[in-house]
Amino acid sequence: MKGKPLLSPADPGQARLIVIIAVLIFVPLGFSVVSQVSRNRAESPNDFLEKPDPKYEECVRETSYMRFHHWELLRGIREEVVRYGKRSDVGLTKCSECHTSRERFCDKCHNAASLTPDCFDCHYFPK
Amino acid sequence: MDRRDFIKTAGGAFLLASSGAYAFRVLTAPSAGWMDVDFTPSGRKWGMVIDMNKCREDCTACLQACREENNVAFVNDDRYDIHWIRKARLQYKEESENPGKSVILLCNHCDNPPCAQVCPVQATYKRHDGIVIVDHHRCIGCRYCMIACPYNARYFNMKESEEWPNKDFPKRSHGVAEACNLCAHRLDAGKMPACVEACARQGCGALYVGDLNDHSSEVSRLIAKSAVKRIRPDLGTEPKVYYIGL
Repeated sequence: MKGKPLLSPADPGQARLIVIIAVLIFVPLGFSVVSQVSRNRAESPNDFLEKPDPKYEECVRETSYMRFHHWELLRGIREEVVRYGKRSDVGLTKCSECHTSRERFCDKCHNAASLTPDCFDCHYFPK
Repeated sequence: MDRRDFIKTAGGAFLLASSGAYAFRVLTAPSAGWMDVDFTPSGRKWGMVIDMNKCREDCTACLQACREENNVAFVNDDRYDIHWIRKARLQYKEESENPGKSVILLCNHCDNPPCAQVCPVQATYKRHDGIVIVDHHRCIGCRYCMIACPYNARYFNMKESEEWPNKDFPKRSHGVAEACNLCAHRLDAGKMPACVEACARQGCGALYVGDLNDHSSEVSRLIAKSAVKRIRPDLGTEPKVYYIGL
């Protein structure tokens, strides 16, 4: 049984096209609004991120990468150093030259995201 | 277009849009690029020669230097103490007036390491340059390697080291197996292991570390010209620590 028509142009194919285009426009728009809102929440890292001591011109990767993927970089370096003996300049000791405090630069985000990395059990990082 | 058609079309378009957005994020995500390690083996094989004729019985400089370099747990309690390098006194099977020799014992960095064979997670493995090393990130603390090692060179970390003399080198947390790593970090940086340097500083110079593949190196020369012994070579582990005057 056919229900009440919602859209009634002459061609049903045209109606379908209108719906598809509308969804393709509004869904990404909605996603970006949601992500923007969640990014501005109170516990967002943006609120308490600090500028590191500028010992070097720039970080080893761009900030957007380092903010969310530094652990991947460190894990990759770890793999190369431990398994292959390919020593790297980059490492926790190097990080600590600019990011001089574990409490200010590591624990804040890790706590906000309820992450408990065990790096610091064995690797020294200044308090 | 009725309600049923509208829901079907909109739902299909939504799935398309969200999967497209997800695929876009996955495909454009930055990668650390650690899977492709650009690496060429050095062709070296590190080995050690210990000249027992030069070693003084009362000297423990190498032990102390090792603890300070590698943050080895030492609290003077047999239950917790870890010895990457240690001194033991040989005992004669028969009753003897002779008190027996005091020898330096450490991981023999076998060419055919039983500890690496039994490790269920490949945490212990032989590096390309012959150093048998523990990846403490992977170690699950099962202690198979301690049972497999015929030289008793492996220790279990029962209690973390409270002191941290060398901040550039990590310590180990509770629950991993440890053994001498021939100061791999120092060798990679072109320096000699801490025990070798300490021994030379004491004026004994009883310890030598060098490349066994290089026939002009000090260790190869010593092995060629002196009567060297290894501990239990009959086990087929091919240890790479050679003793002069054992």
